[in-house]
Amino acid sequence: MIEIKVDQDACVGCTLCVDLCPTDVFEFDTANSVPVVKKPGECFGCLSCSEICPSDAITHSGNLRSEDHYHDEYNLRLASLLAPGIELPKAAGDKESEKRAMDDLGVRLLAVAAVFRQTLGGSLPAVGTMAGRTLATQLPRYQVPKTFQDVLDLAVAQFGPTWVLKPVMDGDENLTVDVGDCYIRELCKAKGLELGGDLCVLFYNYLAGYIGRMSDSRLKLVESAPGDKACRYKVQVIRRS
Amino acid sequence: MKARISTEWLSGCSGCHVAMVDLHEKLVNLVEDVEFVRIPVLMDEKGYPKADIGIVEGAVRSSHDREALLKMRGSVRTLIAFGTCASYGGPSGIGWLHGKKSILDKVYGGNPTTGSQEKAPTGVPELEESVVPIDEVVKVDFQLPGCPPHPYHIALAIRTLLGAPGPALDAKPVCAQCNRKMEKRTGVTLLKGAVTAPEKDVCFLSQGVVCLGSVTLNRCQAQCPNRGVACAGCAGPSPAIIMEPQLDIRTMVARRMGLLTGIPEEEIRKYIEEEAKTFYSYALSSPVIYRKPTVEIREWTSVPSSGAREGI
Repeated sequence: MIEIKVDQDACVGCTLCVDLCPTDVFEFDTANSVPVVKKPGECFGCLSCSEICPSDAITHSGNLRSEDHYHDEYNLRLASLLAPGIELPKAAGDKESEKRAMDDLGVRLLAVAAVFRQTLGGSLPAVGTMAGRTLATQLPRYQVPKTFQDVLDLAVAQFGPTWVLKPVMDGDENLTVDVGDCYIRELCKAKGLELGGDLCVLFYNYLAGYIGRMSDSRLKLVESAPGDKACRYKVQVIRRS
Repeated sequence: MKARISTEWLSGCSGCHVAMVDLHEKLVNLVEDVEFVRIPVLMDEKGYPKADIGIVEGAVRSSHDREALLKMRGSVRTLIAFGTCASYGGPSGIGWLHGKKSILDKVYGGNPTTGSQEKAPTGVPELEESVVPIDEVVKVDFQLPGCPPHPYHIALAIRTLLGAPGPALDAKPVCAQCNRKMEKRTGVTLLKGAVTAPEKDVCFLSQGVVCLGSVTLNRCQAQCPNRGVACAGCAGPSPAIIMEPQLDIRTMVARRMGLLTGIPEEEIRKYIEEEAKTFYSYALSSPVIYRKPTVEIREWTSVPSSGAREGI
């Protein structure tokens, strides 16, 4: 559980933490003019309170620090020299914090997939497709794809390097997509989950929704073969225009 | 054996050295434990004798500063960046906005008190293109910002380096030691240009006066706000501002003030941007500030970018 500490000497009684907390963790003690942590279990570590606190009186411990990726090394070193006691995040590129951030992201992704499955049941693939279509309409496109091959090239660029895709067309209809490096596969391995689960379903439909919207066609999954090193999707492309 | 201390001043105002003399009778106690082998404010020593602790005031502005700093680094074991100029560039860091040529042209050519044909003097140490904090030139072991550093922290720093147990140094903003009551109000207007406010027990932000206390490191015991003047940010940004790229002086002050008073954040932010040379004056030549993704002080203050090199 996340532990919140309020430095009562430093607090200036502005009540902004009480106002901004999205889960109403704090209550304001008007007699002593300080916030009191009433519902610590509700805190999910967004750090809104410590960010707004004018006197830096609120500190959290036990929270995941997935923000470690963007800290500047020069700035961190300078901060460490100002007050040797302060707890610093780690600079970008640190392997341990990178792993922790990925774990954190993984937990959230799995939770999202589970919630979708519970609430939507068999409509899960549709969520992925809709998300992929939305992505296709919202990404800046520097060149409008003219041919189906252009769309595939664009997809390779957009999904890399998180997903390494190798799409190959055989004739006009048959598409084979090999997925090399994949964050979801790494996550499943780390958590001991079988490949081809809800996250994989979401991912495939996300990709299919994206390609389909870009090329004005429908992608129908013929066969999927999850693998330890690479996964293969065989797809039938049904053109609309 | 007494610890040896060597000090040097670069581009600053020598106020930090005077602050050392402000130790008053503590200085006498200190002198029992330390020996000043070089301290320009008190004695004339042209060389750079070996020392345990080196204290450097001021930013690197000229070729002389750079050479002196390198000599200091080579002659001492522990180097302290002493004061805000050494740590962040300080007020002379505004030179970062303009670049060498436009400054020299302005001072020697376009000034009402000089002839238009006057040239910059030669045979003096050359002005560098920009102003940089000393840690961009040499490795710094400790940072003691403040304009000037408070004698309490000077004594604490030196005593700690000599091995005496001292209280842990905290890194909270000025508000943490300010006695004013921060409270929410309505019907407040933004008082542009004001540094004082009528009510002495209520926070400046609540009264519509921009105060940088919440974004400034407390190395001053909140002397200004406790005595009636809004914080100008002289000890440089607080650790939160330094560490988190998305937080900035103007946005955090505007956000807090907006939430307290109902004045639109946009209005406060615009005002701080227009007056960036005032509100950013102590740290604008430090990468901590100018590398922030949304900080564009040259744009806000309409300085033509051709005058200064990109990235310095």
